[in-house]
Parts: sequence; structure tokens; C-alpha cells
Amino acid sequence: MKRRASIIGGVAAIAGSFVVFVIPFIFIILMAFKDKPQSALRDFSWPQGFHLWDNLVQVVTTRNWMMITAFINSALITVISVTLLVVLAAMVGFVLARRKTRMNGLIEFLILAGLMIPPAVVPTIWLMQGLKLFGTLHGMILIEVAYNLPFSIILYRAFVATIPRDLDEAAIIDGARPLDVFFRIILPMLWPVTVTNIVVQSVGIFNDFTNPLYYLPGNQNATVQLTLYNFQSQYNTSYNLLFTNILLITVPPLIVFLFFNRQIVAGMTAGAVKG
Amino acid sequence: MAGLEFKALHKTYGSVPVIKGVDLSVDHGEFVVFVGPSGCGKSTLLRMIAGLEDITSGELWIGDKLCNDVEPRDRGIAMVFQSYALYPHMTVYDNVGFGLKLARTDKAERDRKIRDAARILQMEALLDRKPSQLSGGQRQRVAIGRAIVRQPEVFLFDEPLSNLDAALRVDMRMELAKLHQDLGATMIYVTHDQVEAMTLADKIVVLNGGVVQQVGAPIDLYQRPANLFVAGFIGSPKMNFAEVTVQSIDGTMATVTSKDISSVSVAADTSRMSVGDTLTLGVRPHHLTLDASGTLVGGVSLVERLGNETNVSLKLPSGATWLVVLDGDHNLRGSQALQLAVDSSTVVLFDKTGQSLLAPR
Amino acid sequence: MASAPTTARSRPSTYPVWFFLPAAIIYSALFLAPTFASLYFSLTRWTLFNSVFIGFENFAQFFREPFLIQGLMNTVMYAVVTSSLKVVLGMGLALLLTSNIIARGYLRSVVFFPVLVSTVGVGITFTVLMHPTQGMINQGLALIGIKGPGWLTDPRLALYSVALVDVWKGVGLATVIYIAGLVAIPRDYYEAARIDGATAWQNFWHVTLPLSRPATATVITLSFIGGLRTFDLIWAMTKGGPGFASDTVASVIYKQYQAGFYGLSTAGNVVLFVLIGIIVVPLTMFLNRKQGHE
Ligand SMILES: Nc1ncnc2c1ncn2[C@@H]1O[C@H](COP(=O)(O)OP(=O)(O)OP(=O)(O)O)[C@@H](O)[C@H]1O
Ligand SMILES: [Mg+2]
Repeated sequence: MKRRASIIGGVAAIAGSFVVFVIPFIFIILMAFKDKPQSALRDFSWPQGFHLWDNLVQVVTTRNWMMITAFINSALITVISVTLLVVLAAMVGFVLARRKTRMNGLIEFLILAGLMIPPAVVPTIWLMQGLKLFGTLHGMILIEVAYNLPFSIILYRAFVATIPRDLDEAAIIDGARPLDVFFRIILPMLWPVTVTNIVVQSVGIFNDFTNPLYYLPGNQNATVQLTLYNFQSQYNTSYNLLFTNILLITVPPLIVFLFFNRQIVAGMTAGAVKG
Repeated sequence: MAGLEFKALHKTYGSVPVIKGVDLSVDHGEFVVFVGPSGCGKSTLLRMIAGLEDITSGELWIGDKLCNDVEPRDRGIAMVFQSYALYPHMTVYDNVGFGLKLARTDKAERDRKIRDAARILQMEALLDRKPSQLSGGQRQRVAIGRAIVRQPEVFLFDEPLSNLDAALRVDMRMELAKLHQDLGATMIYVTHDQVEAMTLADKIVVLNGGVVQQVGAPIDLYQRPANLFVAGFIGSPKMNFAEVTVQSIDGTMATVTSKDISSVSVAADTSRMSVGDTLTLGVRPHHLTLDASGTLVGGVSLVERLGNETNVSLKLPSGATWLVVLDGDHNLRGSQALQLAVDSSTVVLFDKTGQSLLAPR
Repeated sequence: MASAPTTARSRPSTYPVWFFLPAAIIYSALFLAPTFASLYFSLTRWTLFNSVFIGFENFAQFFREPFLIQGLMNTVMYAVVTSSLKVVLGMGLALLLTSNIIARGYLRSVVFFPVLVSTVGVGITFTVLMHPTQGMINQGLALIGIKGPGWLTDPRLALYSVALVDVWKGVGLATVIYIAGLVAIPRDYYEAARIDGATAWQNFWHVTLPLSRPATATVITLSFIGGLRTFDLIWAMTKGGPGFASDTVASVIYKQYQAGFYGLSTAGNVVLFVLIGIIVVPLTMFLNRKQGHE
């Protein structure tokens, strides 16, 4: 009786979730298989012929291989800023959790402020121009680091707080020098939360649209999110290419999702609950 | 060769004094146990020796080196923590060898030392495991292995056995005693456990409120406590106390009396008392025996029969409750009246300030 | 100060303060400094090369121009709609996904995956799906005899259509937060309630809801802040249109920036930041105080 109810409920939930959450993705995939005239109809129909490969080639080669440049740029920004985030946030989280000083209150306030306050765009551009960082990849990397530090620090601090201090002290007695305690004892133990950080932050930074829009103008600096505007024009949008492009930039998060589902969920909920 | 010497050690946290002037000397090779109630500063004192806490004032000498400002790694000490503090991401082998690695000992020698330590502690089979794959007793061994591999002059233990179950605790206690014999190093040991303290120590240091109450061999502390605190703290079950009045003094013998005890003659330092003084009499539960002509009478209020001995709570006429431990099994009924003799050679008198009035030896 | 000078030691610490330094420099230079600078530049007419102090003129303009006022109202509405829908739907989905329903793993994945997908990609896809005549949504509705509205073309509807897409993309995060909260509720409470003869509804109202309040607080706070700051989805879907019907403060900031009104754009930033301050700070304090009360 109960079992039947749960099966009926389950089937209804599967059907509902399929319509709401899966069909849009199927639509993207179907569109990516179509040629330009059929895609212009924008309907939910079976592709006439297999055009995915042509579409891919066209998307990749458009505007002087802009897609490739964009993927390289996005990869560089993501990898370098996530590396910096992990190292810097782990250092801050470690000392913040271990050393109780009057500064802690201020630092925690600044972390919360960083999570809430939207960045002041134009003054940032003005400052970056002064520092010769505006429109450069390294400037963009530093921006991503600055904006995402608070979240990473919160994750690390919470984790370090669960590591008993005895371990630090045992290491000190064993002859660890100050930096040894962090690099040889704490950092290796932080591995699980580092994986979480890497996964959550790289998805966020890879998908970032707003910040590159402001701070990284220019075609040679485009990131993948900005390539979507290549195939959109008011009158003559190439929907097949547009959706091939969307499909292409959805692949990296999909891979991450397939391999690190658990870490992402753990990280997002942990960070959220602490924050 | 390293003894220790503490000179007027003080420690304050903020403005709160925790260690209030400790003077102590420890000979090389001695096994010293710190005991005292929770929060009295045992761990703090131990951590000051280790160099994990700053010394607010006073001097700490290890061997012939003033160590106040010496790094922990240069003090020639090793420490075993209550939580074991094993590095969870390293194997047992690496845990034990971590200190040697930090000291850049060469690989072959490191390996030899690790395997030596493993052999001494009979944990050769565990070397490739991670700490999470070990039982409590095995973790304890690894923690000790990590200490001995460094060949320290002084071992520091902070309640190392308190996380083990009772049977294992007894085994490990014996192993520690054997280890002390074999290594001949100085050991300083903090514990809550009376039996550990009594059996392991060459010398017990009783602390209370950051002040040393008494230092001495275990049996001395038991038989000749310096004050009420030590008398109450050492020995289990706790010593019974009663307020008594001095009836007469005869040479080194004082005869005292109270509401509950008709009279008992005690060898004491009679120069520090006079007839009519109010003193405190301490009687250990084990030193009362059933005796039809005894001087103590009370009613049984609670009986615990352990087989080899019987613990009796005794309600005295004054209203006080004393604990009596009788040899062997006794089938006593509640409210039954008992008459007991006090073994006067083992009782102790204390003056108004709590200092004991023991006859000089 | 507390440690007496007798042992003044210069040993390097195991917890070195300089570990803060690299993070502090980057954070201060690229986040804090511009934030403070914005307080000044919002009071100027500004070309990036020189600035003229004009007092509160930019702010006055913000509350004078109808389209700017509308942007402000839209921002608040958007945040309220998205966060309340995420609370309700997130809680509902979490209850469903923690019950012993079949295919739980599939359902969780499907609900959560949109969280990881490019916002702009989602925006573009739904713009196509929401086309009034050719869009799949209205074609689907037509099949069952309903004439769908002009989701993004009707000025009264555009903002809420975008908000719906925001919920579609973000409800997975709310759901996993609620799931984490729900599984943390000890079974004892439900068993005690069952012994007391509670109905399913009473169970939900008296046990689940109060005990998942920390999760609710988190979901509300997160989605409220996110809602107030939203730019990319609106930009991808309507660019604030039709007209100014779906403009929010964040899109106004971008438009004024593009138009070269840097002072006004920065004033928009300050408005947004004040808005977040006066709504979110009391809100989190309220949510957390209630929670401490239980
Ligand atoms: N970091 C600290 N800051 C302030 N006070 C402290 C600190 N560490 C310890 N204390 C105080 O110092 C006193 C002694 O603590 P300590 O840990 O040495 O006690 P202990 O004798 O080891 O007790 P236990 O038997 O419970 O382990 C306690 O009152 C404790 O509250
Ligand atoms: Mg202690």
C-alpha cells in the first residue's frame, strides 16, 4: 500500500522533473545538432541530418578561432586563481582558527562584508587602470581571488577548527619549525576541504560572466562566457551555433559534476551554513 | 644526563595566576608523577617544561641548561599526549620517524631507529598502517614510539592512559614501568589515577591551586602527609576526618577525644600543641577494624560487598559519616551498630591551619 | 601585554601573522579600497580622469528619475520573489528527496545540475524557450489549450519571468541546503511526536519546520543577497527591457557605466550596498535571534 504510493509518487516526480529540468537540456542538445534553417524555427523537433560536427567546427573557428582563445583564457584564469585561492585562503583560515587576537573580530567582519557587499565596479576599474591591471589576464585573476577569498577562508577556517591543536604541539615537540607545522601537518590534512574548494570555486570562476564583462574587455581577452554573444544579433542569430556554443561551455561543469558531485554539494552547503 | 630544576616558576594567563611559584628538583632517571585536582595546573606545568607555554617568571633548568627561552626541539624532551596526537595522514612508520626526518637524520639511520622503537614496543606489524586503523592501545604505543625514537633525556606524559579501558591501562602501566627501567631516562608524568601514581612514581608531586603541597616518595605521602589536602587527596577511599580535643600530653604521645571516639593516643609533634586545643584527626578507612572493645561506635548506613573487602558507610553519633573498609566479606544489615578499633599507629593529627603534627622521625 | 617582559622572546610563531598578508593585500587593494573609494566617487561627476564634487546630486537623480526608481523597486521585488520561491520549493523538494521515494539519486542530480551551468547559457536558452509565439513553453501550453503570455515581452511580466528562471537555476542549491538541514534533525523528535499521535501535517509544522530554521535562514540570506545583486541573468534575458520594465540596480549600474556616467553608476553601487545593508543585516539578525530562542 505504502510502497505503491511511493512508486506512484516517484513516477510523478520523475515525470515532473523530466519536463522541468531535463527537457531544456535536451532542447540545447537537439538545437546543436540542427542546421541553421531548422534551428531558426526554435521548436522541439528531431534534427534533420547530423550537423553537430559542422556546427562545432564553425563555432570553434568563428572570429579567428576566438573560442580556442577564450577556452585558454578561461582555463588560465580558473586554474591560476583557484590555485592562489587555495593557498592564500588556507593560510588565512589556519592562522585565523588558531590564533585568538583582537584582530579576529575585524577580520571576520571583513569576511562577511566580502560575502555580502557587491563590488564597486567603476572605482575598481579606475584603481586597476592605475595599477596597470585593467584588461589584463593577471588583473582578472587577482579580481577573482579577491572576490572569492571570503568563501574559501570560511571553509578552511571551519575545517582547521576541527583539527586538534595537540597535533600542532606534537609536531613542535618533534622539532617542527613554524612553517613545518603548516606545510607538513596542517596542509596535507586539509586535502578534503581543498578538493571542495577547488571544485566549487572553479565552477564559479569558469561560469563568471559579470566580472570579465567589466574588467576584461576586448576580443583577444574574451572568456568562454562572453563567446555566447558571437552568434547573437538582433536580426540574424545563428541558433544552431549559439546552442552548440552553450553545449560546449556546459561540458566542463558537467564533467566536474560527474566526478565531484559529493564535494560540490558538501562544499556549498557547508560554506553556506557557516556563512 | 639530565635532571631538572625549577626555581620559583610562575605562569599567569592574562592576569590570572595559574602556577604560583614552583620549586622542585628532579634527579636524572627519576620517575616523577604530578597529581592534583582538575584545574590545579598539572598540564600547565608540564607544558612549561615542554616549551609549549611561556614561562612568566622563574627559571627552568634541564640538565645544566637554562631553558626558559629554548625551543622545544632543543630541550631534549619528548611528550606523549592524552589524545595521542598522531598525524592522521601519515603511516605509523612516518609518525614515528617524523621527528627524525625534521632533524634531517639520514635515511638508513632513521630506518634503524624506527625499527628499534617498533621492536621495543612490539608494534613491528603495525608500521604500514594509518592511525585510523589502530586500536586505542596500539595508538598509545605509537605515541610512545614517537617519543622514544628521539632518545630524549626527559619524557613528558600528560594523562597518557586515561583514554584506555581498565584492563589495558593496567598492561600499559606495567609496560611504562619496564620502559623506564630499560631506558633509564627521566620521566615526568601527569595523572588522575591514584594507582598509577603510587605504582609508577619514584617521587610524587602533589599540586593544588598552582602550589606544590608536598613532594615525596609515594609511601611517604600516604603515611606522612604534610597537610590535610595531601592526606585527603592521596589514598582511596578518602581519609576520614574528625574534630578532636587534646585531653592530655605525655612525652611524644597525645591523647585526643571527640564526640565519636572515646579516646585515642597518637604519636605526634607534641611541641606544637597544648591540652585543650582543637585539632583534626585523620583516620584511613583501611585502618579501622571490628573490635568489641573498640573506641568508635556507629550505625551501618550503606554496605558495598566486594568479596575480598567490605565498604561500610558508618553513621557516627555526632552525625558525621565515616567510611570503613573491612577485610573479607561481612554480611552487615542496615542500621546495625558496629564497634571499631582505631589503629592509632597510623592516624595523623592536623593543626588548625591544616598542617600535620607528625612526630619527627 | 599580558606576557611579562622577563621572557620577551623573538621566536617566530607557529601561527605567523604574515600568513594574512598576501590575502589581505589582494583583498584590500581590489575590494576594500574600491568600496571605500565608491563612497567618494558616488558624490561626483566623474570621467575617470577628473571628478567634480556634486554632493548628493547622483542620489537625488536616483530617486527622481522614474526608470531609476523602478529599477530599485524591481530589485527588491526580484529578491523577494526569488528567495521566497526558493524557500518554499527548496523545502518541498528536500522533503520529497529525503523521503523514501524511488530514483532519489537521479532526482537530486537533476535538480542540482542547473546550479553548475553557465547563467548566461541558461538565460539564452530560456529566452528562446519563452518566445511568445515560437517558444517551446507557449507551444506546449497551446497543446493543452492555454494561450501562454508574452513572458519576456509583456512589461508587467518580464521581471517575474526572469525571476522564475533564476529559481529554476538556483532551487537546487536551496534544496541541498535543506536536505543537509533535514537529515541533521534527530529521528528521536519524529518518534516522540509519533508516540504523541501527531499527524503528518503536525509533524511538519511542529518538528520539521522549526528544526530546519537554520537552513531556512541560510537559504533566505543567500538567495536574498544573490537576488539583490543579480545582473548576468537579467542581462542575458532582457537587458532590462522591455523599456526599463525589468531593470534592476545592477543592470542600471552597468548601463550607466556603458554610457560613461561613472559617478551615477558608482552611486548605484552605493545604493545597492546600502539596500543590502538595511535589508539583509536586520534580516539575518532576525533569523538568527529566532533560532537562538528555540
Ligand atoms: N590558555 C589558557 N588561558 C587561560 N587559562 C587557562 C589556559 N589554559 C589553562 N588555563 C587555566 O589554568 C588552570 C590550570 O589548567 P591545567 O590544564 O594546567 O589543569 P590540569 O591540572 O591539567 O587539569 P586537568 O586535570 O583537568 O587536566 C585551569 O584553571 C585553567 O582554566
Ligand atoms: Mg591536564
